Amino acid sequence: METAAPEIPILNSPPDQSAEEPQREPLFIARSLTKYYASGESQVRALDGVDVDLYRGELIVLLGASGSGKSTLLNILGGLDVPTSGSLSYNRMDLTTADEDQLTRFRRDSVGFIFQFYNLIPSLTAKENVELITEISRDPMMPEEALALVDLDDRMDHFPSQMSGGQQQRVAIARAIAKRPEVLLCDEPTGALDVKTGITVLEAIERVNLELGTLTVVITHNAVIADMADRVIHLSDGHIVNIETNRSRRPVRSLAW
Amino acid sequence: MLHPLDLKLIRDMGRMKGQMFAVGLVMACGLAMMIMSRSLILSLESTRDTYYIKHRFADLFCELKRAPNAVRERLAGIEGVAAVETRVKGKTTLDLPGLSEPADGIIHSIPEDRQQQLHLLYIRTGRLPELGSHNEVVVGEAFAVAHGFTPGDQIDATVYGARQRLKIVGIALSPEYVFESRPGETLPDNRRFGVFWMNERELATAFELDGAFNSVLVDVAPGANPVAVMAALDRELAPFGGLVAYGRKDHASANRLDDELRVLRGLSVAFPAVFLSIAAFMTSAVLTRLIRLQREQIAQLKAFGYSSRQVGFHYLKFAIVIVAIATVIGGGAGAWLGDNVVAVYHRFFRFPTLAFRVDWSMFGVAFAVSSTAAFLGVIGAVRQAVKLPPAEAMRPEPPAEYKPSVLERIGLAHLVGPSFRMALRNLERRPWQSFFTAFGLALATGIPIVPGAMRDGINYLLTFQWDVAQRQNVTLSLIEPSSASAISDIHSLPGVMKVEPFRSVPARLRYGHQSRRLGVMGLSREAFLNRLLDADSRPVQLPPEGLLVSAKLAEILGAKPGDTLLLEVQEGRRPVREAIIQGTITDYAGIAAYMEIGALQRLMREGNTISGAHLSVDTSRWDDFLARVKEAPRIASLNIKEAARASFKKSTGEMIGMITTIYFSFAIIVSFGVVYNSARIALSERSRDLATLRVIGFTHREVAAVLIGELAMLTLIALPAGLWIGSQLANGIIQTASTESVRLPLVLTSHAYGTAVLVVLSSASLSFALVSRRLHHLDLLGVLKARD
Repeated sequence: METAAPEIPILNSPPDQSAEEPQREPLFIARSLTKYYASGESQVRALDGVDVDLYRGELIVLLGASGSGKSTLLNILGGLDVPTSGSLSYNRMDLTTADEDQLTRFRRDSVGFIFQFYNLIPSLTAKENVELITEISRDPMMPEEALALVDLDDRMDHFPSQMSGGQQQRVAIARAIAKRPEVLLCDEPTGALDVKTGITVLEAIERVNLELGTLTVVITHNAVIADMADRVIHLSDGHIVNIETNRSRRPVRSLAW
Repeated sequence: MLHPLDLKLIRDMGRMKGQMFAVGLVMACGLAMMIMSRSLILSLESTRDTYYIKHRFADLFCELKRAPNAVRERLAGIEGVAAVETRVKGKTTLDLPGLSEPADGIIHSIPEDRQQQLHLLYIRTGRLPELGSHNEVVVGEAFAVAHGFTPGDQIDATVYGARQRLKIVGIALSPEYVFESRPGETLPDNRRFGVFWMNERELATAFELDGAFNSVLVDVAPGANPVAVMAALDRELAPFGGLVAYGRKDHASANRLDDELRVLRGLSVAFPAVFLSIAAFMTSAVLTRLIRLQREQIAQLKAFGYSSRQVGFHYLKFAIVIVAIATVIGGGAGAWLGDNVVAVYHRFFRFPTLAFRVDWSMFGVAFAVSSTAAFLGVIGAVRQAVKLPPAEAMRPEPPAEYKPSVLERIGLAHLVGPSFRMALRNLERRPWQSFFTAFGLALATGIPIVPGAMRDGINYLLTFQWDVAQRQNVTLSLIEPSSASAISDIHSLPGVMKVEPFRSVPARLRYGHQSRRLGVMGLSREAFLNRLLDADSRPVQLPPEGLLVSAKLAEILGAKPGDTLLLEVQEGRRPVREAIIQGTITDYAGIAAYMEIGALQRLMREGNTISGAHLSVDTSRWDDFLARVKEAPRIASLNIKEAARASFKKSTGEMIGMITTIYFSFAIIVSFGVVYNSARIALSERSRDLATLRVIGFTHREVAAVLIGELAMLTLIALPAGLWIGSQLANGIIQTASTESVRLPLVLTSHAYGTAVLVVLSSASLSFALVSRRLHHLDLLGVLKARD
């Protein structure tokens, strides 16, 4: 995992996996997490006994084939779905027993989402899309500040239709981080983008992770992207088959695929 | 085996059942009304035609003073006459048990020495009077039913001044009394007016018309010119005091029935047209949305090799299925309603049988009309969908283009929050769709105004006619015109406080080619009781000379104030004079012409002759008054205002209540359907935005507010427009339903407007509640994963 690229300046130091991990308290603790979906007569086991701890400031990449359970795990972590069994706590709050209102509150206060298809509100400008969040958050940043973090301060008054896919995805990132979330969940953020644009989007995610210390979980098919992570979790058939810890993170701008 | 595309159709429809139901129901309302009214028309028309033919309703009618029976042969010899009936016909007053006021009737002769030619009676129960019998009568059904008379009962009557006890032997119907009421009266009063038939010889003796007749009925031969026959009749009968002959359009009962059919015909087009256009808009909105959602599926079908025509037809099938279901529901509902309404018609129009006949051909027409409407609504979206090359259609639609709304462009952006901004920009981005949604909502607001306006119109009419215009409590008619001495006789009746005599002269008013037969009414210029009013309920004073006519009569004749009418008097020496229309007055039932009583008497070259009087009677002496009137042989009829009002409320009021209830129920359905459908389409279009908002932490309530904000904005824009549309609709429909017999004023009260607003707001609240419930089930993940 050694690269020629310069080391990333570490503002919020990622966990030193070997030494510090046991002393730090995980943000998420998942135990025996399972999720079954009824599919006609049979059941699909989307998650089948997942145990994992996720820490503040980490950048995690979830790798796995289609149907491996990545998205299910991400959705459960983000309070978009509830597990069938097992336990999941966030910051000592039990997410498995939370009701709809508590999950909404959790999403509103603590989680930022980024999706493959941006999901911007087309009738709102970049700044207004971000304002949607800042209006309902407890301690948001200024929309301008969030957009500056993703280098879009010059596109603030553009509507989604007036921006490229990469720009739209960066607005989505700005929208997700404007509330200063503890967790940033990204489901295939570069899936709909070309390489060059994908890099700029990942750079923005990387910057947010480093500058704000946000626990960031990125789902991808693309193994190259795994190099930007602190830890890479490999999923298959609803199981975690391997958790790989990168000795050092590779800066996004040196990635290529 | 169903074709896979048809399976897709069924399943897609299953998913959209709420909207399909809403659209189908609105369409069904329009079709129900169409089928109900067309079937009623068919039932009434076919029943009428069969009845008129089978029971030989005459084509021409003529009254005269007295002609010897020998004249009958001369009349039969007139060219173009197929059959002649001569008879004795006269007024009678009745003293009925259980009725304190006198009632009156018309009594007709039945020939004994020859076969009856025209106006054959249909005997419901009992029999005809026996030859040579004494005082046996057959009585009209409506009157008999109102009093519960059966054969064997007896009635005390005054016939030509002589009191007689009449024995009822049968209950019958006649084609000349389908509408059994006093000639010229537009509302039936079956308790106080009856028709009777008696053997000719006995009746002739009673009226001092032995060997003579005073009424002629003529059947015109096919192909003959009725106008020529009428002229010949007039010539032949003039020496015998004949009045001018008239045809069916001047015949009270026939004209009243035709008026009803005219109203039904108008309503059978106007109301359904409005409903079906709304349904077409709704179908268009639903299917356009569906097609936009299925853009990729359409592309795939085309990639598989389906032709544009096949794909287009698949989507048109949605419309066809909705129309087919609506036709069945609407047809069933229309037939059921019609079956109920026809029973009410039977109270007004007496036929031997009035069976409800469903106009099956209308189902075909209904299906064709709604299919065409739905087709026109959908074809644009279908063509757009199949036009795209498959490869292009399979790519996601580019993001919708937005721009700052007008509010922001004029620098008021800071006034509104992001939700409001979203709503505003959405509305501006698709101005036509917004326009049509608002238009649909406006129609939904407007439609409930129509039944409200009808109800308010009736109430206004009643107050106008019975409280403002007529302040007498009794109108008394004499058996025949009498000298002024009658006035003092009337004055001396117990309890009479004020007497305003009137003179009524039967005449034909002619202007150009148009003419109408009516009684020209002579009133005092200082009338206090029976007042003439203008459209604003202000009293109008009679001019010293010339006529004041109903605005409707002026319209029928095509004349206006200042024009000179030809007034052909049909009584006495039958003078023909010119009279200038000095002005019009407002009235809502029948048509009338008024003159200053002195001017009318001068025109008739008679002294102080009167036909009757309007009276104000002290109600504390009511019983004495009625008792004396019952014994007065010269009084032909007594029209008591409160009795007429009560009778109206019971009969016509009930019928109008029924019709307005039907219209109002339909209006509520349409209103709800339109609002619900708009809400569902908005939900479908915004589901992605709404899901995004939910995911990023908006609460359910906050998200619902975004969706509802947009609809609420459209509803608020639509409300004032809807009130205006409603007033126009009400005006149009009231005009359509306005006839010579009854007209409704256009009265728009805050009550009707308020009800309409309430209906729309309730529909909106209910729709919003239903749609927000669906928001709960919004598949957050599914929506976000899908491409636009």
